[in-house]
Amino acid sequence: MTVRRDAWFLAPALAIVIVMLLAPMVLLLVISFWSVRSFKLQPDFTFSAWERFFVNYGGLTLYTLLIGIVTAVLCVAVGMAFAYAVRFKAGRYGDALVMATMITLFGGYLVKIYAWKSILGADGLLNQALMKLGILDAPAPWLLYSRGAVIVTLMHFLLPFAILPLYAALRNVQVATLEAARDLGATPTQTFWRVVVPQCRAGLFAAFAFIFLLAAGDYVTPLLIGGTSGSMLGQFIALEFSTRFNWPAGAAMSFGLLSASLLVLAAGFMIVRRRPA
Amino acid sequence: MKGRDSAWLVVMALCLLFMVGPLVLVVLFSFGANTLIGFPMGGLTFSWYGKLVADEAFRDAARISLVVASSVAVLSTITGTLAAFALGRAQPKWARPVLATVSLPVLLPPLVVAIAIVVLVVRGLGLRLGLPVVILGHVLVTQPFVILIVMARLASFGTASVEAARDLGATRWQAFRLVTLPQISSAIIGAALISAAISLDDFIIASFTIGGGNTLSTFVWGKLRTTLDPSINAIATILLLSTIGMSVLALRLARYRG
Repeated sequence: MTVRRDAWFLAPALAIVIVMLLAPMVLLLVISFWSVRSFKLQPDFTFSAWERFFVNYGGLTLYTLLIGIVTAVLCVAVGMAFAYAVRFKAGRYGDALVMATMITLFGGYLVKIYAWKSILGADGLLNQALMKLGILDAPAPWLLYSRGAVIVTLMHFLLPFAILPLYAALRNVQVATLEAARDLGATPTQTFWRVVVPQCRAGLFAAFAFIFLLAAGDYVTPLLIGGTSGSMLGQFIALEFSTRFNWPAGAAMSFGLLSASLLVLAAGFMIVRRRPA
Repeated sequence: MKGRDSAWLVVMALCLLFMVGPLVLVVLFSFGANTLIGFPMGGLTFSWYGKLVADEAFRDAARISLVVASSVAVLSTITGTLAAFALGRAQPKWARPVLATVSLPVLLPPLVVAIAIVVLVVRGLGLRLGLPVVILGHVLVTQPFVILIVMARLASFGTASVEAARDLGATRWQAFRLVTLPQISSAIIGAALISAAISLDDFIIASFTIGGGNTLSTFVWGKLRTTLDPSINAIATILLLSTIGMSVLALRLARYRG
């Protein structure tokens, strides 16, 4: 009786997932084997879109994954330092710092990217400041439209997604265990790596996975911030759907990116699991 | 020891500056008389806001965003709360895979979710893109947040009081309305606000599925791509303050900590 009623309670949420996600993803996969003739989509069974993905976009995919990995590693490292400080060093200001992190979480995706464009641009704040200080004679154009700028911007809006799960994990680490480690002669560094980190492993991996997936799949940041040297695969996927009207190509590239991302996460999971506690 | 602690202070201060600083700059310059972000920012002015309010395209985008965000808040609160009730009672071996499935949209790149929806609606179903598609796409992404928030609240007050009400003769509906609902209502309102904030902030799904017209996010995008229009700072500030304001309110209501 209750089981049947609970099934009805779940039905609306599941219906939305099925109609708006699962069915679309299946159709997208099917379409990656279709072909395009004179801008018209034709049902077909061909690997040409996939071939195009591997031949034309193989290198860019690897580069996109690399940007994702670098961003995720940096976010996890910085986020861990911040979360650790908030948990064990901030005292009564801890709650306020977590609150500050959380309120930046749900808003301002485009605004954040725009802000970095203004800071790093040729007549942006950073160039102005560096010229005022006499460090630069002329504006440095490489601040914007570079890989570094893309990574900084991605880090800016993804960092809260690292801090919150890491802070949640660190709340389960008791101060008493840290004191015990210290009393038994461990240095702070040893305590961190051998007592704190092993207890936070699930949180560390979750933070890495989430940030990696979102960073590798982003296309707005490289489009606005990356210029030509900072391009990522997502931009070209978006292009196939917005102006080039080659849906099979875009579909194959989407699933190529997703599968490659999952391979990276699987490798990361193996590494995390193999490391002794 | 003292030196080590001040090093941690520097770490916290730098992280905070990195997260909040750029946003403060945008808000600050939206009140500056100069056209671009840069110092000196010129005198204090509200003229960019005045120009925005006078702009019909902006008012249309604001109206559409309001419709979309409030529909998303209502719908995802209904689907998410119902699901949270079922999942909170279900055995973990059933609840866990269902929860993972429903949360999947949060893990996938929004770009891939957006184009998959476009493909299904346009090619699979032969329908037109438009606001209903945007709204359902946003519900897909926001309902997992509602489920998590409401489930956490349900777990924290337990079943004892509901059982007591039932033992004292309340019908199932009375027990829900008089015992459960008052205890979870703040969490539900919080979840609705988070959903509205996410919807308002989303650019990627909206830009692919809206067909014609603009939400506030796609309106900002248009300005970003074409000109360095100084009213960008003002509209960015409006967008930022409304999403952050809703989050603050939501976190207070949901009493969410970490």
